[in-house]
Amino acid sequence: MSGRFPLFRKRDLLVFLVAFLLAAAGFWRWIPSDDALIAVVEQNGEVVKRVDLERVTEPETLTLEGDVTVTVLFEPGQVSITNSDCPDQVCVRTGVLTRSGQSAVCLPARVAVRIEGENASGADGMTG
Amino acid sequence: MGQFAAGFKKWMVIAAGLAMLLVVLLVSQFLIFEKDEGYQATAFAMGSYVQQTLYGTDAEEVSSDAAHAVTELEQLISWRVDGSDIAALNQAAGEEAVQLDVRTMDVLSRALSVAQATNGAYDPTVLPVSSLWNFDTDEPMLPDQVDLLDSLENVGYGFLTMNEAAQTASLAHQGNGVDLGGIGKGAACDAAVEVYRASDVDAAIVAVGGSIGLYGSKPDGSDWLVAVRDPNGTQNDSLGVLALQDGFVSTSGSYEKTFTVDGQTYHHLLDPNTGYPAQSDLVSVTVVCENGALSDALATACFVLGLEDSLPVLRAFDAEALFIDQENRITIAGDLSFELRSSSYTVSRQEL
Repeated sequence: MSGRFPLFRKRDLLVFLVAFLLAAAGFWRWIPSDDALIAVVEQNGEVVKRVDLERVTEPETLTLEGDVTVTVLFEPGQVSITNSDCPDQVCVRTGVLTRSGQSAVCLPARVAVRIEGENASGADGMTG
Repeated sequence: MGQFAAGFKKWMVIAAGLAMLLVVLLVSQFLIFEKDEGYQATAFAMGSYVQQTLYGTDAEEVSSDAAHAVTELEQLISWRVDGSDIAALNQAAGEEAVQLDVRTMDVLSRALSVAQATNGAYDPTVLPVSSLWNFDTDEPMLPDQVDLLDSLENVGYGFLTMNEAAQTASLAHQGNGVDLGGIGKGAACDAAVEVYRASDVDAAIVAVGGSIGLYGSKPDGSDWLVAVRDPNGTQNDSLGVLALQDGFVSTSGSYEKTFTVDGQTYHHLLDPNTGYPAQSDLVSVTVVCENGALSDALATACFVLGLEDSLPVLRAFDAEALFIDQENRITIAGDLSFELRSSSYTVSRQEL
């Protein structure tokens, strides 16, 4: 002890750091995580299933019967249309969806699979 | 300086620091909550996937009304729907004029205006030929050449007569027929935006297939960003982004609906003058203008016409466009704000 009392001691700094980290942790909890990947499956414009792809541990399929039968495959962090009886196979060729805003649509089956959130390109919509 | 005073000051500083941190946290959370993600709704209509995002009051109700308006329009202008205005018009071909709903009249007159301005590069009376190709079904087919040439005789916008005052239209001969497939999605965007205008929503975007309608300004006042699909990619790949304040956007691309016979690939953008898919060096045309139906019909017309011949047409309709050719060259006609995000393409500009 030199008789002076520093504004902060190491111990105080530690307290401050812990408080800061706690606050930061709370802060991050509030920010919607970029990893939240909610896959939405629609048939005839109605939502038939919602799946949090982050919680998928085992591959899981969903078969949608109709005039055109479509199979949707949910995997950890991704979703795809793996099978469709449609002639054009546009939906299957779209491949695996991994980011928010992506979608695979089978028009003949009137089935759409999309990942919720803003478009992957940061756009409001897509033309073409 | 006493120990007590120093300790007190120290805790004051810490308390002040924490308080400031708290304020920062609260403000940022407030900002995050304030970010309006909009209300999203989807449906199937016009043979397309319909997506809406609305900002502001009564978004859910308004989106449902807009979807309803699109379906109603489809019931009026689809030639495949029994009892639709267009089915009735085609049925009465060569016989009599048919009374039409004001909405049908509006779409039909815009279709006719584009047909006249483009010498039939877009032609609403293409049904005799388009019905042979069947591109709007799951099973398109290569027509017999003789059938095709015979049917071509019945295609021509001159066969279509409209009487705006009487709100009627007629087709000259039996065998003539109207197919509004090349304008319907854009017209559907008009119908949706009309609902938005009459409502309390602040802003909304509607996509009907590849056609888009923009209404109002987003909550943060920024431009609408409309991604342009990469013709060489899948449904989710874009090559760049258009920044727009309002208006309508439509794209006609030869990659949309295709089939292959004997190694030859056929696309759905028919040239009404030949009856076959347009032989153009383009792979896609995106048109931006103040009306959805016009943007849709113009995109088809410009694809058939090619870049050079499209320019006077764009000028006439006060429209702008983005052309993509087979050499991966993008040409922007007009002042469109476009950001290229793919290294596979080059961009140049063309004055209008």
